[in-house]
Amino acid sequence: MEFEPEIVAFCCNWCSYGGADTAGVGRMQQPPTTRVIRVMCSGRIDPAFVLMSFLEGADAVLVTGCHINDCHYIDANYKTKNRFEFLEEMVDELGLEPERLRLEWISASEGEKFANAIKEVTENARKLGPSPLRREGVL
Amino acid sequence: MSDTIEIGKGYIAWAKDETTRGKGASGGFVTALMVAALEKKFVDNVLVVKKKGVYEGIPTMTNDVEKVLNAAGSLHSAPVNLAKYVKKSGKVAMPAKPCDARGVIEQAKRNQVDIENVFLIGLNCGGSMSPVPTIRMVKELYELDPASVVSEEILRGQLIFNTNDGEKAIKIDEVEDKGYGRRVSCRYCITNIPEMADLACGNWGVPKDKFGNATFVQVLTEKGVEIFKNAVDAGYIEFESASEKSSKMREKIDSTMRNLAEEWHKKVFSEVDSLTSSDRLAYYIDVFKNCIDCGSCRKICPVCACGDDSKCLQMEYEDDSYKLSMFHMVRLLHLMDSCIGCGQCEEVCPVDIPLTMIHRRFAERMQSRLGHIPGMNMDTPPFYEVELRS
Ligand SMILES: Cc1cc2nc3c(=O)[nH]c(=O)nc-3n(C[C@H](O)[C@H](O)[C@H](O)COP(=O)(O)OP(=O)(O)OC[C@H]3O[C@@H](n4cnc5c(N)ncnc54)[C@H](O)[C@@H]3O)c2cc1C
Ligand code: FES
Repeated sequence: MEFEPEIVAFCCNWCSYGGADTAGVGRMQQPPTTRVIRVMCSGRIDPAFVLMSFLEGADAVLVTGCHINDCHYIDANYKTKNRFEFLEEMVDELGLEPERLRLEWISASEGEKFANAIKEVTENARKLGPSPLRREGVL
Repeated sequence: MSDTIEIGKGYIAWAKDETTRGKGASGGFVTALMVAALEKKFVDNVLVVKKKGVYEGIPTMTNDVEKVLNAAGSLHSAPVNLAKYVKKSGKVAMPAKPCDARGVIEQAKRNQVDIENVFLIGLNCGGSMSPVPTIRMVKELYELDPASVVSEEILRGQLIFNTNDGEKAIKIDEVEDKGYGRRVSCRYCITNIPEMADLACGNWGVPKDKFGNATFVQVLTEKGVEIFKNAVDAGYIEFESASEKSSKMREKIDSTMRNLAEEWHKKVFSEVDSLTSSDRLAYYIDVFKNCIDCGSCRKICPVCACGDDSKCLQMEYEDDSYKLSMFHMVRLLHLMDSCIGCGQCEEVCPVDIPLTMIHRRFAERMQSRLGHIPGMNMDTPPFYEVELRS
C-alpha cells in the first residue's frame, strides 16, 4: 500500500481554524491526511505538544495561528514565533528533516492558504516517507 | 589602606592568621574573608564544602567559624554544585566556581534566591574530578593506596597526591592522555574565571615568592568591594595591588586553558558531529534507551527550579512506547536557553548517558541563535520581552 502521511495541524480558534473552515466550505481540494487540533490561541501550543505529536506518530506537524498583530490575545503569537525557533533547533539537532515542521500565519478568510499549506506539507512528507520517530509494532 | 580596593582591579591577598594561611588552598584568603564576614555579622551564614576525606565534600550552610576553618582548601574531586544549597535566608557568603556562580544566578532569575543577599566569592576553576574514577586512578596510575592519601593539590600543571610517606606528582596532560583526570564536561568548559561573581580568586598570577601563600583576587562588583573591605578592616586579611606582570600571567594561563578547552570540545563532540542527521537520531534513540527513569539529572540540575510538579515529569508516561522519552525531550527543550554546562547531570547519571554533552549540543546552537549566555548576569533571554508594534 502506498504510504500516506499523517499530519497534525494545530489551529487557533479565532483565525487559522476559521481558515480551515473556509477551505472546507469553499470545497478546496486537499488531501485527507490532516488531524486538526483546535486550541484557543497559537500561544497555547507548548513546543512539547509538537514533540509529542512526533512521538505519537505524526509524519509532519503544522503550527498555525493568526497573523502577527492579529492575535486575539494581543501578543501571544509572538511567543509562538519565539517558541517555534526552539522547535526548529530541536528538530534539526534531533536529526529529523526540517520539512516535517512548519509554521504558517493564516487568517479566517485565507482558506486557500490553509489548503495549500496542507497540500505542500503532505507532499513533502510523502517524499520523505514515514517519520523515523513513528512508533513500531501494533499500537 | 582599605579604601584603595576598587572594582576592576587585581590584588594579591592572603589570610593574616598563619594557620588559616597554611590550611587554605593558596593563602586562605577565601576562608579568612568568610570568617570575617561571619564574625563581624556582615553575613548571617556561609556555605562551604565540608571535607569528608580527599574524595568527598558535602555542601554545608553554617554560621560556625570552626566549620569554615576546617573547610579551607580546594577539593578537586568533590564535583559538587553549590547553587541549590542557597536559600532565601538572610545574607550568605559562598565560594563559587564559575558553574556554582552561574547556577546561583539562574536560580535567582527563577526567584529561588535573592541575589542581593548572596556574596559570590568566585574561585577560578580549571576543572574538577569525579571521586570514583579518581580513586581508581590513585590505585592504578599513582600506585598508591587510595586510603593513604591525606591531601591532593594541583600545582604548575601537575596533579599531586600526598601521603604520610611523601608526595607523588604526575603531569595533568599525561594523566588525561591515559584516560584519567578531570570530568569530561570540565575539559571542554571555557569559563575558568568567574567574572559573573563578586570576586574572582585563584592562584593564577600569584608571583613566585608568594606562590601557595596568597591568592590573586579580581574585584568585580560593589558587593565584592564591601566584603573584601570588611575583612581588611577587621584585620583578617593583608593585601597588595597585583602587578601588571601578575595580571598578564593570569590572562595568559586563562587563554591557554581556553584554547585547550576548545580542542577538547572538538574531540568530545566529534563522534556525534560526524554522524549524518538520520544516524544522529538513531544515536539519540539508542543512548536514551538506557535511561532508567531515576530522575537524578533533573534533581541535581542547578538551573532547573521546577520542583516535583515539573512538566518533564508530568508529560512522561512510563508505559508509553515512544522512541524517545518525553522526559528528556522536555528537559532538552527547557534547557536550550539556560544550560550552563556544569556537568552535574552526566555526573549523577547511574547508566552513564553522556547527558551534558547532549544538552550542550542542543543548548549551544540555541544560545548562539539567541545571542544569550546564561548565568553571566541577571539578563533574561531576549525573547522574554515580547515586542508589540501598533
Ligand atoms: C575544583 C577547583 C579547581 C580550581 N582550579 C583552579 C585553577 O585552575 N586556577 C586557579 O587559579 N585557581 C583554581 N582554584 C582556586 C584555588 O584553588 C583556590 O581556591 C583559590 O586560590 C582560593 O584560595 P584560598 O586559599 O583563599 O581558599 P581557601 O581559604 O582554601 O578556601 C577555599 C574554599 O573553597 C571551598 N571549596 C573547596 N572545594 C570546593 C569545590 N570543589 N567546590 C566549591 N567550593 C569548594 C572550601 O569550602 C573553602 O571554603 C580551584 C578551586 C577548586 C575548588
Ligand atoms: S488567537 Fe490566533 S494566534 Fe492567538
